[in-house]
Amino acid sequence: MKDFMILRLLDKFQKIFLAIEVDYPIMRRILQVKLTMDTRRVSTFMSQSNTKKENNEKNYFISSLWLYILIGLFLIPLLFISEDYIFAMSTIFGIFMFMIMTSLISDFSSVLLDVKDKNIMMTRPVNSRTMNTAKAIHIFLYLFYLSISLAGGVLITSLIRFGVLFFLLFLVEIVLMNFLIITLTAMLYTIILKYFDGEKLKDVINYVQIGLSLVITVGFQLVARLFNFVDLSIVFVPRWWQFLIPPVWFGGPFQLLLRGDLNISYIIFSLLTLMIPILAIITYIRLMPSFEKNLLKLNENSEKKTKPKKNPNIISRIVCTSREELIFYRFASSMLKKEREFKLKVYPSLGFAFIFPYIFLMNQLQMQSIQELPSGNGFLNLYFSAIIIPSILIMIKYSGNYRGAWIYKALPIDNVKPIFTGTIKAFVIHLVLPVLSINSIIFILIFGVRIIPHLLAIYLNFVLLTLITFFMLDKNLPFSMSFNDINKESGKTIFLMIVGGIMALVHYLSTLIPFGLLVYIIILFIINIITWKKTFNLSWEQIQWN
Amino acid sequence: MEMNSKSILSISNLKMKFGDNEVLKGINLEVGKGDIIGYIGPNGAGKSTTIKILLGLLEGFTGEVKIFGESIVNQISYKKRIGYVPESSDIYDNLSAQEYLTFIGELYGLEHDQVNKKAKSLMKILGIEDVYESRISSFSKGMKQKVLIISSLLHNPDILFWDEPLSGLDANSVIVVKEILSTLSLRGKTIFYSSHIMEVVEKISNRILLISDGLILADGSFEQLRDKSEGSLEEIFNQLTGFNEHQSLASDFVDIIETGDSI
Repeated sequence: MKDFMILRLLDKFQKIFLAIEVDYPIMRRILQVKLTMDTRRVSTFMSQSNTKKENNEKNYFISSLWLYILIGLFLIPLLFISEDYIFAMSTIFGIFMFMIMTSLISDFSSVLLDVKDKNIMMTRPVNSRTMNTAKAIHIFLYLFYLSISLAGGVLITSLIRFGVLFFLLFLVEIVLMNFLIITLTAMLYTIILKYFDGEKLKDVINYVQIGLSLVITVGFQLVARLFNFVDLSIVFVPRWWQFLIPPVWFGGPFQLLLRGDLNISYIIFSLLTLMIPILAIITYIRLMPSFEKNLLKLNENSEKKTKPKKNPNIISRIVCTSREELIFYRFASSMLKKEREFKLKVYPSLGFAFIFPYIFLMNQLQMQSIQELPSGNGFLNLYFSAIIIPSILIMIKYSGNYRGAWIYKALPIDNVKPIFTGTIKAFVIHLVLPVLSINSIIFILIFGVRIIPHLLAIYLNFVLLTLITFFMLDKNLPFSMSFNDINKESGKTIFLMIVGGIMALVHYLSTLIPFGLLVYIIILFIINIITWKKTFNLSWEQIQWN
Repeated sequence: MEMNSKSILSISNLKMKFGDNEVLKGINLEVGKGDIIGYIGPNGAGKSTTIKILLGLLEGFTGEVKIFGESIVNQISYKKRIGYVPESSDIYDNLSAQEYLTFIGELYGLEHDQVNKKAKSLMKILGIEDVYESRISSFSKGMKQKVLIISSLLHNPDILFWDEPLSGLDANSVIVVKEILSTLSLRGKTIFYSSHIMEVVEKISNRILLISDGLILADGSFEQLRDKSEGSLEEIFNQLTGFNEHQSLASDFVDIIETGDSI
């Protein structure tokens, strides 16, 4: 096992640990094991790029830190835009808190929520203080790396621009912020575990992971544009609700101590900045034992009273034509909605599909005035959602539980067709249509009801693109392969994106001809029907097994 | 009492509550050196709870628990002489068997090289030395169980607490582990294990404890239990726990399979 540099650094403080009755050699060993295991965990971002090699012994967490450094660099301009510290610093702390807390939840939950620790270590002659100190140092290291990566750039810039005092104050506040984050995270877990069970908590963590991946990618798209919209001459006016938002407090001390601004709000902000995190961390340490007790619920799955859904079958009965198809439709629906690993890979992309049209719409706004927008062709931006379809549909053959795919072989299924039609229908209804429909409603609000016929063409194109994508991709059974074997089939995906673009182009051209749109819709409708018929004419021989 | 002076483990009037649910309702037990005790009972009877209390994993019990003649409350040094196989098979499976076993050995205060050698030899005897350096996450259930068993023995403990030690093991391995248990007991180790496999309990225990609903229902050798009621241990178990519906349950079950009607 590797002897980590950080452990050799800790060795220098051995005496301190011995003084507080920590068995140092044992603690060091526990940390070494924990750090080794960290190198074998895959962080949320890395799991997206998914080339997992078994023997690759680098710390995924450390190698994902460049992303945080990059995000941190994006924040530097904030130090230059406003004369008021409060605005810049509150924004910076807001982003820091969000990033650190979500990372903590998505990547470090397995450490915070480890129930094995107790069973493995406390049954051996290890005193609980030694174990808890090891755990605290482990969490501290994680937060330290994260904070330094994220804040490093801004910290150095602040030292140059505003001097040493600013820098020191900033540093102290970052520490206080981390206290607050630890406590808030623990509180979140405690509340969820108190009222729900471990499964619910895992769902929450899953959604935080999905949200984090989404925010990071979309964030990069937005940040650059954001500065175009921010009014640089913002004057900060304290309001009551700002007292409820911790990042705003953190701006207060800068204004109070460095600007000498004795506004009562800033004084209160400063007090809150200092006192709440310290009180929080003390409370957390005090309540640790009861937190641990709640953790025991983690592995419980309270016998769920899943409420029988009202009319669960209506949609499935409408869209499915045969019994077999219905069976696979239901199966695929449950997998799409419930499998966490699948959701983690797919839902962020779904989020992009949702957001893309607006990003391009905003681009258009730079050329066009907001008054002109509703009468134009801006609704065609909806097609930008479509370019995501291929990259999502490609995932449908993967699953974290791919081993369960033995059912396809073991069960007497003569016809392979309903497996795919059922799954594709579930895919369209549960993933494509919700995104498209919400965007349609928003676009109708922007562009008016006149775009409804256009939307019809767009819906038909989306379904058609799904079918073409399915037609082009390798035919593996749904949910039958491991995520470790992902083959992106990039060439095909890019081609399919171009197909999506052509659909949009033809749509645009059709609006230039009288009755063009009507003809386009009719043609699309016919093509859709033919494609449905042709695409799924598959036999077992055409299926690729892995 | 004379019994007490020789006793390795002594429990008196042990009670434990989880919320309103009283899991242990007064357990009394004296265990001497070299005993192999089979601890049996239906799910939820309190078997694992007892073992967890003995290992100091659970607090808030009432009554007295003494190991090696001393109360275990707030003690950790007695754990150096205990080997534990958890029912939940908790293990750090991102580590290799080598990393895990040396870590556990060092927690017991052994030297790294010494544990490493010992662990490797033990793996060899159980037929899994070729995966010594592989990650435990790639192991089958039986291989994992063997690693857990080895991890409980590295420090040559005087008492073993094994919760479901045989789960996942194949037939040959079960035979080996059974032999290991009797050999350990001959050499003066005390063994306390729980199992659902009655045939095994019947054959290798020299004392059987039957626990149900938080109380000890029967305590004695298999012969002594058989004096009380008839048949195999399985039948005695069913009688004492008042479970005699198995035949009607089974026929109901098959009826549903054949006709599809709920009863």
